[in-house]
Amino acid sequence: MEAMDTLKPEIARLFAAKEARRHKLAALPFPDKVRAVVCLQEMAAPVLRARGIKVRVWNLDDRVA
Amino acid sequence: MKRTLQVLNELELGGVIDRYAIGGAMGATFYVEPLLTFDLDVFVVLPQSAAGLLSLAPLYEALLARGYIEEGECVLIEGVPVQFLPAYNALLEEALREARETLYEEVPTRVVRAEHLIVVCLQTGRDKDRERVRIFREQAELDMNYLAGVLQRHGLEGKWKQWTP
Repeated sequence: MEAMDTLKPEIARLFAAKEARRHKLAALPFPDKVRAVVCLQEMAAPVLRARGIKVRVWNLDDRVA
Repeated sequence: MKRTLQVLNELELGGVIDRYAIGGAMGATFYVEPLLTFDLDVFVVLPQSAAGLLSLAPLYEALLARGYIEEGECVLIEGVPVQFLPAYNALLEEALREARETLYEEVPTRVVRAEHLIVVCLQTGRDKDRERVRIFREQAELDMNYLAGVLQRHGLEGKWKQWTP
C-alpha cells in the first residue's frame, strides 16, 4: 500500500476525509454511539447468521426510529 | 440500554454487586468511534461470601428472580446481552476503583478509564486487542502520565513498547 505522501492528491483527500469522519464519530455523545453500534449490529447480524454464528441485535428501549 | 443500566445500579444499591463499570468494546466506544459488539461487558466487584469465595451465582440468581435469563455467557437484561466479568486481578480491581462516573441519558453509570482499557488490552494480548490499542492511540484523549503509572504498576511497560514502536 502506498504511503499517504505518495498518493494522488484526490485519494489523499478522500483518506483524510475518512479519518476526519472517524474522529467526528469518536466525539459523538455516548448514547448516539450506542445507537450507531446497534445500527452496525443490524448490518452485521445477517452476515454472521449466514455463517452459523448466533448473535442478538440489542433492543434499545431509548431508540428513536 | 438505559433500563439495563438502571438494573445494574439497582443490583449495586441492593448489595448484589459491590461495584460495576462498563468495559470491553462498549467501554472503548465511550472514547473512540463506535465499535461493533454484541455483548455489553461489565466488570464487577463481587461481595465475598462467608467462606471467602467469589462467585457469580448469587448475581445470576438475583437476575433470574427479576426474570432475566442466561443466554450463553451473558444474561439478557432489558434487550441487551450483558457479560459479567469479575475483577480477577489487581489491574481490574484498580480499573473498577478508578472508573469514570458518567450519565447515560440521565442514568448514572461508570465506564472504565481509557488508560485502563488500553492496559487490559495489553494484558489480554489478542490481535483484536492490539487493533483496539491502535484505535485508542489514534482517537482517544489519553492522559499519558496516568497511563505510564498504570503500565508501571502492572508490569506492562515492555508490552506497550512492543505494541507501539
